[in-house]
Amino acid sequence: MTVLQTQLTGVARRPARLLLTGLAMLVASFVVFATVLAQQIAERTMLDGLSGTPAAADLVVGGENTGNPARLTPDDLAKLKAVPGVAEAVGRVDTTGQAGGQYLNLTADPGSGPLAITHVTQGRFPAAPGEIAVSPRTADRMGLPVGTAVTLFTSWDDEGEPIKPVKFTVTGLVDARDDYGFTGYAPESTVAALVPDGLLSRAELRFRPGADAAAVRSAVDRIVQSGPAPGEGFERPRVRTGAEVRTAEANEAASGLDALFAVVAMFVAIAVVAAGLVATSTFRIVFAQRMRQLALLRAVGAGRGSISRALAAEGALTGLVAGLAGVLGALAVGHALPPILRGFDLSVASPGWPVLPAIGVLLLSVTITVLAVLAPAFSAARVAPLEALRAASTTGGRRDIGRLRWVFGLLLALGAAGSAGYVITNLPGRDERDYSVEPMLFMVVVSGALAFFALMALGPVLVRPVLAGVGWPLRRLGAIGRLAVGGVGGAPRRAAAVSVVVALGVTLIAGLVVTGASVRVLADRELASTVPADYEVTANGDDPLPAAVYDQAKASTDLAHVTPYRRLEDVLIGGSETKLAVTDLVMRQLPTLDKIDVSAGSLADLGPGKVAISGFTTDLTGLKVGDTTTLKAGDRTARVQVVATLPDGAPLHSYLVLDPSDLTRLGAPAGYSGLLADAAKTGEAGRTAGQKALQQLTQGRAGLGVAVLADERDQLNLVLDGVLAVALGLIGLTVLIAVVGVGTTTALSVVERVRESGLLRAVGLSRGGLRAMLTMESSLYGVIGATIGLLLGVPYAWLSIKALGVNAPLTLPAWQLIAVFVALVAFTALAGVLPARKASRVSPVAALATDG
Amino acid sequence: MRTQSPAAMPATPPPAGPDDGMTAVAAVNLVKVYGSGDTAVRALDGVTVGFARAQFTAIMGPSGSGKSTLMHCLAGLDTATSGRALLGGTDLTALGDKVLTKVRRERIGFVFQSYNLLPQLTAEQNITLPLDLAGKRAEHGLLAHLADVLGITGRLAHRPSELSGGQQQRVAVARALVSRPEVVFADEPTGNLDSRSGAEVLSFLRNSVRELGQTIVMVTHDPTAAAYADRVVLLADGAVAGDLDRPGHAEIADALRDLGAHR
Repeated sequence: MTVLQTQLTGVARRPARLLLTGLAMLVASFVVFATVLAQQIAERTMLDGLSGTPAAADLVVGGENTGNPARLTPDDLAKLKAVPGVAEAVGRVDTTGQAGGQYLNLTADPGSGPLAITHVTQGRFPAAPGEIAVSPRTADRMGLPVGTAVTLFTSWDDEGEPIKPVKFTVTGLVDARDDYGFTGYAPESTVAALVPDGLLSRAELRFRPGADAAAVRSAVDRIVQSGPAPGEGFERPRVRTGAEVRTAEANEAASGLDALFAVVAMFVAIAVVAAGLVATSTFRIVFAQRMRQLALLRAVGAGRGSISRALAAEGALTGLVAGLAGVLGALAVGHALPPILRGFDLSVASPGWPVLPAIGVLLLSVTITVLAVLAPAFSAARVAPLEALRAASTTGGRRDIGRLRWVFGLLLALGAAGSAGYVITNLPGRDERDYSVEPMLFMVVVSGALAFFALMALGPVLVRPVLAGVGWPLRRLGAIGRLAVGGVGGAPRRAAAVSVVVALGVTLIAGLVVTGASVRVLADRELASTVPADYEVTANGDDPLPAAVYDQAKASTDLAHVTPYRRLEDVLIGGSETKLAVTDLVMRQLPTLDKIDVSAGSLADLGPGKVAISGFTTDLTGLKVGDTTTLKAGDRTARVQVVATLPDGAPLHSYLVLDPSDLTRLGAPAGYSGLLADAAKTGEAGRTAGQKALQQLTQGRAGLGVAVLADERDQLNLVLDGVLAVALGLIGLTVLIAVVGVGTTTALSVVERVRESGLLRAVGLSRGGLRAMLTMESSLYGVIGATIGLLLGVPYAWLSIKALGVNAPLTLPAWQLIAVFVALVAFTALAGVLPARKASRVSPVAALATDG
Repeated sequence: MRTQSPAAMPATPPPAGPDDGMTAVAAVNLVKVYGSGDTAVRALDGVTVGFARAQFTAIMGPSGSGKSTLMHCLAGLDTATSGRALLGGTDLTALGDKVLTKVRRERIGFVFQSYNLLPQLTAEQNITLPLDLAGKRAEHGLLAHLADVLGITGRLAHRPSELSGGQQQRVAVARALVSRPEVVFADEPTGNLDSRSGAEVLSFLRNSVRELGQTIVMVTHDPTAAAYADRVVLLADGAVAGDLDRPGHAEIADALRDLGAHR
């Protein structure tokens, strides 16, 4: 029997142990292959749903999205419909009109049948001329429920005045792919009648079942080619298959997808590295437990080489099994999830059966596992044959690290400190000119990576001091707490190995949380000046905002913080030649404006004779806080003092904010230029109510525009939230692997410490006490990891924010970080629950008898 | 639950009555069967025996005689198939795990062959472990007295890995005695020790019986160790096969040889 056979027999006797050893790798393989499948699902879903062309379209005649447009006449469409083998031909065209001061996009659609892109949810699809359907959001936002009559101005004259009114009745609400809140649908004939010459932008054809596709296509080609030459700036329509068009459309969307998955791949790679680290640590524990057996093999004559080869082979087998289980698991989930989601009315495509990537994942799993097993296998093979004869099975391992490792670790730490120091000394001040971000960010990443490697090298010596700190409250808790702290501290190398992986996850999360909080503050500040309120009403004509509009807005229960302002273009500031816009917006009245950041001075000091100036104005005039300057508009002047300078623009795209009395002195008329207002109630309903209230006020008054600024803010917040959520999810993979590592480590140490558990039970530790002790131990890995992670993550996040040079504030989102810490400790405690339960069930006798 | 009425006692009284106030521990018709069906092994086949207070008793017998099983059942470490294991009138076989744990913690002390000290705790922490688990403190001066008598006063701050085998076993003995248990069970306490260290530990155990009135039940297969005991109970095939009062080394060896011959 070879050495390999003895080891494999051991594996075969306890297959669950093999899976436990490879658990981290299993999860990693699952994640990697799930990512492959997710990309497939995403691409197929895009093809199915996110491509604008219905799946039933067999042939598409028309222009591409890029290049010159092509046009089809209704006559052409009639000819296409008449081609033998064509079951249905739908013309597509869309146009934009203006209804009550707002834009409405009108798109042609059959409303029913396989080629329809809408389906009716209320009322009926328009059939006669003068009828339209709208999307649900449009009905809410623009006040167009079923039955409403609406006048659509379908063109504009040279002055920008809407002309050519057409009366429509809303006959139904329809759901479509996207709902932007300004979309209507009507049959092709209705829409075509609104566009010049009734030309269509494309036609979509559906074949009869069993039709000869080639014959139909050549007939269609002939029709297209026989048409008159296209006019200036137009192309002859192209004929393409529906699949071709959908692929092209999907690829356009998928180019963004590829970039997204490149980012995903980066995070998945970090998770795989984490899994490799966990695997290394796991193998070390497993081999340490087998030390006596290995020593026995050595004693009876097995060579070091054959032992390490056997152990490495076992590692490869572990990687193969784990990889296979991960791939199969991902396949099962990948194919089970889409049908379930479809049950919830979400159109999600199923992935395929990608064989090559699956093999690739298996190879990756085997490779990483073999790499992970090498070092433990070599050190295990160095066991002295005499070990076999030693009575006590002490597997806790060494507590210290070698001199070489000390030196190596210190060098790494030095490198990390050095590169961080370089970044700190070269940070940009408020003046960000001549500063390039990339090399600095790269240095931050390098420093972070070095710090992490230093942590890996010096981990075992760091565990005890950290444990002394964080273990203090536990030790106060009594004997169980002391035992738990002692248990973790007793095997510092093991604790370090698993805590470092937890630390990696926490570092990334803490970094993300801190950066996210800073970016949010930054975004809030910038939004505060560009979007100071939910709504803005502007007087676009020559006349000012009617006073009645302001009064009614103020009286409206759907609006709050109604703040009028005046604006004066063409003001000269100081000695400058550039004419700039100024406003007398009263900053105190809008809560959002509190968030505006000042580079110097204070906005509270604003008052008669006092002004705040934008960053551009500061650059242009060189004015500082405390300086006095002269404002000039036409032949009028005002002497003012600067009390605040802003880092970016001033509110309402102005360059200077001043007191109303000063603006009057500069000759501004008494009438308001516009007003800002917030919705009185929160949420979508409040938003819509406020908008409707303003629309009622401005209806019938020429030149008044209502802008929903809040939508802009929502969109930005949504994007930010989305990015943070996705990033958190991706880092979650690493955390998941870390938690798996903690669980595996606890499970394995429970196995080897079964005697200790038995003794504790014998001398009077209750089952619950033993469970508590082991759970506490596994949560201590989380505590150590999370502590180190926070200590690394927060400073590095600050450093990267500073290195970005965007002048974002350094935030310490304490509650979020505490939540991260608590969550990690809870997860790692949870990981220990099962092993702890298992250990507590063992009877003290059995435990004491083991290996006795 | 805690006390047994005499009416519940079996017809054949044990050598020392369980409720006479003199008996610390007793087994009554104790049966322990491992496995089931054809592979069932009767490790204890109706053992009835009592162990007197303030006495040092050795349980001896060949391998597989059931001596360790008997001790495990009497110490509340293992459950019996039938019969009763009485500790000061408490039937351990009727107790759930929680109460049993408390009994072990407060009323029983253990000394094992392989010391079984926790490597991460110092000698002193190992000694006070049962008290710590119970949330109690050692009787005033007892710890210092034990450490002094056992000669480990200077080693209290050391971890087990820094102690010799004899020192480790003496720490284990201190751990067993520090809570002043009703009975100390010792399972081959000298099995891993050289003869000198073994003699020291055994002398100490005997002295603790004489001077402190401690009850000790020791399982051993070594006649030399058993010669330290006041009484030797012989087991064979899961049943009591002999009872020697203050036997000498030779007497024990003879008895053991007879046991072997009968088999």
